[in-house]
Amino acid sequence: MRIPIQINEHSPEPLYHQIETQLRSLIISGQIQEGTLLPSIRELANSLNCSVITIRRVYQDLENEGLLRTRQGTGTFVAGVGEQMREKFKRDTVVEALTTAVETGLSLHLSEDELKTIFMEIVQQKYNQPKERK
Amino acid sequence: MEPKLIEMRNIMKRRRTKSIGPLNLSIPEGYIIALVGPNGSGKTTILNMIMQTVIPDEGEISWRGNVYSKGLPLKLRQQIGYVPEQLNNEEKHMTVDGAAAFRSLWYDNWDGYYFDELLSKFGVPRGTKLYKMSKGERRKFEIAAALAPRPKLLLLDEPSSGLDPFAWKLMIDQLRDCLKDGNTTIVLSTHIVEEIRRLADYLILVHHGKFLGMVEKDGLLDNWKECWVTGDGSMIGELPGIVSWRQETAATTSFITTECLEVETILQSAGVLIHQTRSLELDEVLNLWIQGNKPAGVQE
Repeated sequence: MRIPIQINEHSPEPLYHQIETQLRSLIISGQIQEGTLLPSIRELANSLNCSVITIRRVYQDLENEGLLRTRQGTGTFVAGVGEQMREKFKRDTVVEALTTAVETGLSLHLSEDELKTIFMEIVQQKYNQPKERK
Repeated sequence: MEPKLIEMRNIMKRRRTKSIGPLNLSIPEGYIIALVGPNGSGKTTILNMIMQTVIPDEGEISWRGNVYSKGLPLKLRQQIGYVPEQLNNEEKHMTVDGAAAFRSLWYDNWDGYYFDELLSKFGVPRGTKLYKMSKGERRKFEIAAALAPRPKLLLLDEPSSGLDPFAWKLMIDQLRDCLKDGNTTIVLSTHIVEEIRRLADYLILVHHGKFLGMVEKDGLLDNWKECWVTGDGSMIGELPGIVSWRQETAATTSFITTECLEVETILQSAGVLIHQTRSLELDEVLNLWIQGNKPAGVQE
């Protein structure tokens, strides 16, 4: 199978990290299902134009997290993801995004109240949008 | 660490006008290693010394830990495929089929079906004598013939010179294909940046007959970056791996670093925001490396 991973060369984030984050979210969100056979290390390296060293590291990390499982001689498979893990992942992703937003606010010297106001405005705007359309 | 296929220890080769070495290096098995460096830096001689068609004056080369001082045994030679940069003259009056039959005598494991398949993919005319072919056609024949015995080590000396872009793509695919089983090793010398990008796991830089080191390609691209930050340049000089920096406006500074991952951690904890980063192009990286800037994590 081909895995939809996008690499941004100019991102300050290291290559292995970009691939790892995207593969992890594909697995946890269920877009790649439990039991799926992933491409071999060399195949994935070829399709992403990166080295096998990078892909090996990604597979190793995700295996340590329990998301992948390697069977000698057959290949690397997607392991089961528990409901608890899925919830934790959702939460972690949102926390990470919000932290980045708050840090941007800090670096631009916004006060706590200003930041909260902006946040509430956006929440209002986004969450109420569908209702307005009705 | 993975098993070493070839190890060079204190290799020296002296020629009238220049000398190569001392060279110390291990080539890990199952990877693609790109040998890069300016013209005349010694890449071809290094490939020849690996095959022991050029004998070093000093030092030794071992294969999976064994030193063969009386020449490589036939069994080992049969596992090597070689595409030379300077094509030999001995076979020039042979046709493609004739030359293939001749070469297959030396290789027990010559795969005629695979060779035929490669020739038809590359579109090489089979009845033509080698000297009547265009440079690119001849190169295609050489690549097919080097792959036909399904070698465990492929030594490619600027394999793509003369290839059209379609044949080049095909060559890349074929090389990737023969790595699938995981125990084939490729050492290629090349000047084509795109070839390195697509193929290499490791990169070895050769300059004036010396190795400037071996480095993981992705690590190199992750670490060599140009960054733009807010603030004046006062703190930039103290960051690791700074190659150069410039005050762009009163409030922004740009710099090039060879250790972007570490720089980022430091700046983040200091509360400095990196606005923008750009990966250096591989040719910029190689140029800066030759000028003496060492990559992080380089094996020397």
